[in-house]
Amino acid sequence: MKKLLVLLIAVVFGGQMYGQTYNTFEPSKTQFMLRGYGHTGFEYMDSGDETESTFLGAAFAPIFLYKHSDRLMFEAELEFVLEGNELETGLEYADVMYVLNKNMIARAGKFLLPFGTFMERLHPAWINRLPNTPLGYGHDGIAPSSGIGVELRGAFDLGGPTLNYSVYATNGPRLKDGSEEPEEAGMLLFQNYEDNNLGKAYGGRLGLLPFSDSSIELGFSAYTTANTGQEDSEYEDVGAFLFALDFSLVKQISGLGGIVDVKAQYNNSNVDTATYFELEDGVEEEYSFDNQSNSFYGQLSYRPTMASSDFVKKLEFVGRYSDFNAPEGAEWEEKSVQYAFGLNYWLSWRSVVKLSYQTTETEGGHDGDGLTNTDGLFVHWAIGF
Amino acid sequence: MKTIYKTVIGVIVMTIVGITAVACSSTKKGYTDVPDTATAAAEEEFKIEKSGAQMWGEACNRCHIAPSPADYNDTDWETISLHMRIRANLTENESKKIEEFLKSAN
Ligand code: HEC
Repeated sequence: MKKLLVLLIAVVFGGQMYGQTYNTFEPSKTQFMLRGYGHTGFEYMDSGDETESTFLGAAFAPIFLYKHSDRLMFEAELEFVLEGNELETGLEYADVMYVLNKNMIARAGKFLLPFGTFMERLHPAWINRLPNTPLGYGHDGIAPSSGIGVELRGAFDLGGPTLNYSVYATNGPRLKDGSEEPEEAGMLLFQNYEDNNLGKAYGGRLGLLPFSDSSIELGFSAYTTANTGQEDSEYEDVGAFLFALDFSLVKQISGLGGIVDVKAQYNNSNVDTATYFELEDGVEEEYSFDNQSNSFYGQLSYRPTMASSDFVKKLEFVGRYSDFNAPEGAEWEEKSVQYAFGLNYWLSWRSVVKLSYQTTETEGGHDGDGLTNTDGLFVHWAIGF
Repeated sequence: MKTIYKTVIGVIVMTIVGITAVACSSTKKGYTDVPDTATAAAEEEFKIEKSGAQMWGEACNRCHIAPSPADYNDTDWETISLHMRIRANLTENESKKIEEFLKSAN
């Protein structure tokens, strides 16, 4: 009987003790976060003889962050967009990151490339101050946005100023040699997930924040590859060299009662000269051109954060200039200039309603020769979660 | 050349809207004047050991609007801090200090 009592007590108290240890809620070492963003909008475009107005298909981009330890982490972003009636999916990035030491972090997988700052840091809809990218980015853009490969990055404290770097090797771009789309011969296609040759692309960025308040950053990026064409084709050894310069200033200026944000980036792409073919009245003709493209954008925005009215505090005024020059002599020769103005209302730090007016002057381009003036009105809404 | 006119008009409209909005809102003087010497002294102090709070205000506003400490819990801040340290190429010191501040102030 005594034994039974002792056993009973042991079970009851033991269970409680077990329960207690179980309940001392230790935070788990591994952490998983589901984040992301969505955006949708309305656009009205007028290019003289053509007008268009449309509600834009909503986009939804979930982001998965998994922190395995203080050193090891995984990030991935999926993108769901409606293109016409089709659901398009994309894998923006998926990479592992490992902190090697104080100044070195290794990344591997598909990652956003630090070629300048726009694509890596500023393009998500809830960060970008305007509803679209500047000229020269995105589809048919000249700046590489992501790549599959490996990267080493890090930052150094210079006792006030800081210096950051990244160097990477990726599969690199593929040259459109005109065999499939003759009108795009000579363009670089960066979505080249299975390398078409043995040559890899190497690149990097160096960023300097000269002041201890981190208000200004200057960056230089380069990206080079010796092979862009299909292996064993005459284009295999067509190389490319790209560089970018970027600038950022973000500062609260009391005299202006708010935060001033300046961003700028210049991209230059230089692809080795090659001979392409075009069909002219059923006859194949050779042609060649100096394959140099460049683009630039400068953006100024201002938020009156010191205003006493809660409504005004959340406003933001934006202006952006961008231009894009594609090579003379190419089938896709183009000179475009765009001015964009915007008024934003920030519902939260990651949720914004954007109103924007843009005017673009295009000479040449995909849609043929001549000058086109396009005016656009945009209402966009973006939320990060 | 037409774009020039549009630009000029755009800039003027934005400036007028901006100035009006700001001017109408700040009828009362929002901040007291701090003597320059005091600011200088404060800045000197910060140089010696900058606080996580100040670093948060400076570094986390560079790309997007900085989130407030209350937006996430401690566990989330750990993940975010590592993510941002890597994505934004912050120094280890910056990201540690900011993480400490965010966790202490939420
Ligand atoms: C150099 C630019 C840059 C700086 C500086 C920066 N961020 Fe970010 N931040 C980003 C980008 C880009 C994303 C979006 C990541 C994505 O969606 O791919 C982001 C996303 C976030 C998110 C959403 C969750 C996540 O991890 O994706 C949080 C929270 C955040 N940042 C907090 C901070 C804090 C706190 C700081 C200051 C230490 C900071 N950021 C500094 C660029 C920056």
